[in-house]
Amino acid sequence: MALLNTLLLLLTALCIPGLINRTRARLAGRKGIRFAQHLHDVRLLLRKGAVYSTTTTVLFRTAPSVLLGTSFVALLFIPVGDLPPVLSFDGDVVAFAYLLALGRGALILAAMDTGSSFEGMGASREALYGALVEPALMLTFGTLALLSGHTSFAALFDAGAADDTKLIIVLLLAAYVLTKIVFTESGRLPVDDPRTHLELTMIHEVMCLDYCGVDLAYIKISTWLKGAALSMLAADAVAAALCPRWWVAAPLSVLLTGLSVGIVESTQARNKLIRNTTFILTITALAALIFFTGYLLHLNIGIQ
Amino acid sequence: MLFIYTLLFLVLVVVAIFSTPLRAKVWTAFTLTGLGALWASIRAIGVLAGATPEKLWDLPETLFGGDSGSMDPLSALFAVLISIGSVASVLYSRGYLSHTLREKSPAHVSLHYTALTVMFYAMLGVVCSDGGISFLFFWELMTVASFLLILYDAQRREVSRAALAYLIMMHVGFVLLVVGFVRLDAVCGRATFDALGSYFQTKAPLPLFVVFLAGFGMKAGMFPLHVWLPEAHPAAPSHVSALMSGVMIKTGIYGILRTTAALGDLPVLRTAGLILLVLGIVTGLWGVILAAMQNDVKRLLAYSSIENVGIILLALGIAALGKASGNQLVALCGIAGALLHTLNHSFFKTLLFFGAGNILSQTHTTSLDALGGLSRHMPLTSLLFLTATAAICALPPLNGFISELLIYLGLLDGIASGSDILASAAGLASLALIGGLAVLAFTKLYGTVFLGSPRSHEVAEASEVDNLRLAAMALPLTGILVVGFFPRMAVAGVTRAAGFFLRTPSDAADWLLSPTLAAAGGIAWGLIAVVALLLWLRHRTLRGRRIVEGPTWGCGFTATNIRMQYTGESFSEGLQSIATSLTQNSGEGSPVGKGEIFPDAHRFDVGHRDRIGRLFSAWWVELLRLINQRVMRLRTGKINHYVLFALAFLVLVFLLSILNVI
Repeated sequence: MALLNTLLLLLTALCIPGLINRTRARLAGRKGIRFAQHLHDVRLLLRKGAVYSTTTTVLFRTAPSVLLGTSFVALLFIPVGDLPPVLSFDGDVVAFAYLLALGRGALILAAMDTGSSFEGMGASREALYGALVEPALMLTFGTLALLSGHTSFAALFDAGAADDTKLIIVLLLAAYVLTKIVFTESGRLPVDDPRTHLELTMIHEVMCLDYCGVDLAYIKISTWLKGAALSMLAADAVAAALCPRWWVAAPLSVLLTGLSVGIVESTQARNKLIRNTTFILTITALAALIFFTGYLLHLNIGIQ
Repeated sequence: MLFIYTLLFLVLVVVAIFSTPLRAKVWTAFTLTGLGALWASIRAIGVLAGATPEKLWDLPETLFGGDSGSMDPLSALFAVLISIGSVASVLYSRGYLSHTLREKSPAHVSLHYTALTVMFYAMLGVVCSDGGISFLFFWELMTVASFLLILYDAQRREVSRAALAYLIMMHVGFVLLVVGFVRLDAVCGRATFDALGSYFQTKAPLPLFVVFLAGFGMKAGMFPLHVWLPEAHPAAPSHVSALMSGVMIKTGIYGILRTTAALGDLPVLRTAGLILLVLGIVTGLWGVILAAMQNDVKRLLAYSSIENVGIILLALGIAALGKASGNQLVALCGIAGALLHTLNHSFFKTLLFFGAGNILSQTHTTSLDALGGLSRHMPLTSLLFLTATAAICALPPLNGFISELLIYLGLLDGIASGSDILASAAGLASLALIGGLAVLAFTKLYGTVFLGSPRSHEVAEASEVDNLRLAAMALPLTGILVVGFFPRMAVAGVTRAAGFFLRTPSDAADWLLSPTLAAAGGIAWGLIAVVALLLWLRHRTLRGRRIVEGPTWGCGFTATNIRMQYTGESFSEGLQSIATSLTQNSGEGSPVGKGEIFPDAHRFDVGHRDRIGRLFSAWWVELLRLINQRVMRLRTGKINHYVLFALAFLVLVFLLSILNVI
């Protein structure tokens, strides 16, 4: 069962970028690139040699492996619907958040290693936005812990909510915040534009400017994995509210992120960079609000 | 008797160090410290393994109605921490001070090493004392020794200023402690921490708790009493900064732990827990935000110490709340997290300050904007610094992660079990933000100092330090790795020490925490394995392919130079723009104007000063100075005047006693 769980997550990770591209193309009235184009791109990267900057050290060459390793281990904590994850223990939500932080820190340092002012710019933004989004993520986990009475992912979504409309609302709101966190963490609009051509306004992309070949492939794959892990959490929250089965959660995570990111990227412009902090702090405020709503409902349930 | 023995011992240390030749003084100090550390560690490990603690000294008739000292598991934990930190510091000072020995007089060097040795024994005395006069005695001895240690470079004006500020603030804290102990003695007839428990049960506990919290918080660097830390650490030699930041401020934490434990199960424990939690949150956030804005290696590290004290207080607060509401798991996680984080912080902060010392001694600067690219010139220092950086950011698989995991577990369980929902949620969000900003502060530090290209000539010619200093750094490194990779073992020792606060049997504690800890240890090894596998795959894929080296991609701009690298100031500019109200910003020179299309040469310097620092230079300081000036008129320097004052005093006492006033 745990194996099926991991396979589903990997499949989700591979499908989400394809669906985003498809949605975007359709909304723009284009035919669009083929669904598996991103896989071909990565295969191409894996066949290439490498160019390294003379400024860089061994840290620069290690960072992509650390990033991919942390994203992969973090993925092992995530349940798909009612399937148990590979690793599960009390407090694994913390391990998940800090593994992602380790990957982020590695990439930030790698960007600083090149000595390029553009990459420093991206690194500084990534560090700030990553720090500001952390409380939102933790508060959302806190909300789920409050509803379920557990502190591990496997039991977090088991709030027994299917028969209680009030809890369904909180779960859906938590899923909304998690989706917003997906936007931020995987470097998507309105925080970051992966298709921009101006280095001055990039965040995630500019940090990998000096990477190529296998290293770049690692970074791309780890972005998919991280996106899949977070969107699966959002999908799990929705599934817990509606129908907590894996065959609901898995397609839902692809659809949820694929469609929402695709639609937002087709209809919205990227934030001005100074607006980004406001945007992320709003997510945190929203998470706090949802926690408080959950708290009030919790009190109410206690009285009955 | 204790004091006579202590004085004899002091004389012995002074004679031993002053009589040895200049180059060998460090080894005398090392032997003296090492022997004490060995004795203390063996004893402490015995106590932590389950031996019954026995009295180290017991004086029935002294000032505060008897005085004794013993090593219980909590003292034992701190004794281990003090021993490791002190031995490493003395060892490190050999290489760090060797080039200054010629400039200083032998007496000066001897005084430094005497103070270093005395500092170790004084700290040991503080954590072994049961309270009362010997506690205050060792506390004061520790303050004086650390004051002398800061003064090593006394000819520099900022050093003497910082040392004086430190001495004054420590004595304000000392007065608070004296007030607390005198009050305790007046009510209970004794002034030990045990008596504190009975005091709290009979009298209103909160005022005395606050007095002790402020007194100990001054040493620990608790907000808003932290202002001495960022001044004293950059002024002190690096091994002293390491000792003070890694070890000495922990004695303040020790005092707060004892005071909180003395509250027992009283209802006021909840209020105390809330106070500690709020103080922890404010201290942690203040420390980390200010740390991220600093542009000096040692100031940044000093603020990060404040941040970590905040995390420890937050954990203690949640432990107190958990105990007050009868939630064993929350209390256990909180107190174990607080103790383990205290231990962990002593490891990585010692290592980081040693790293800062290496940077300073090889490049003669600690300014972030003058450094850069050091990892090529100092590979081992850079690797050690990177490990400590990851550990202090609480990243897996290192020790900081384990202690923060415990604290998070306490907070999450406080929410999940519904015992302290709102307080836990506040702690949870704050700790997450502190963690995230710590990553920002330390990637800034490591990135600008060790990565990229050197920003000055001196930095470009830096070389690796001697092996002895690296060996001294390996000592805390061992601690970081052991706790990170064998968390169950480390936490077992810590939960035994937690017995002073919580009467959970250690096997029950092990049963409660072991699934999480075993998994955390597993993750550490698993992560290493996965990353190693990926590196091997990468290596295999690249084998036989063309690997080219070239300049960093300049995005089409061909005239890039080293000065264009992202600086520390620009790295934290985003944070600066949202947290601007916390600091007082100063700018010298003129930045490039918006209208200048082809700018001329500009020179400007920005600084961010702590707003709390202004509290200590506000109007009332001037008032105090004026009052002081009036009082100074009495100091005429003539003996006959002084005799007159003494006579007037006696007459006053006489009159007052006749009138039955005293």
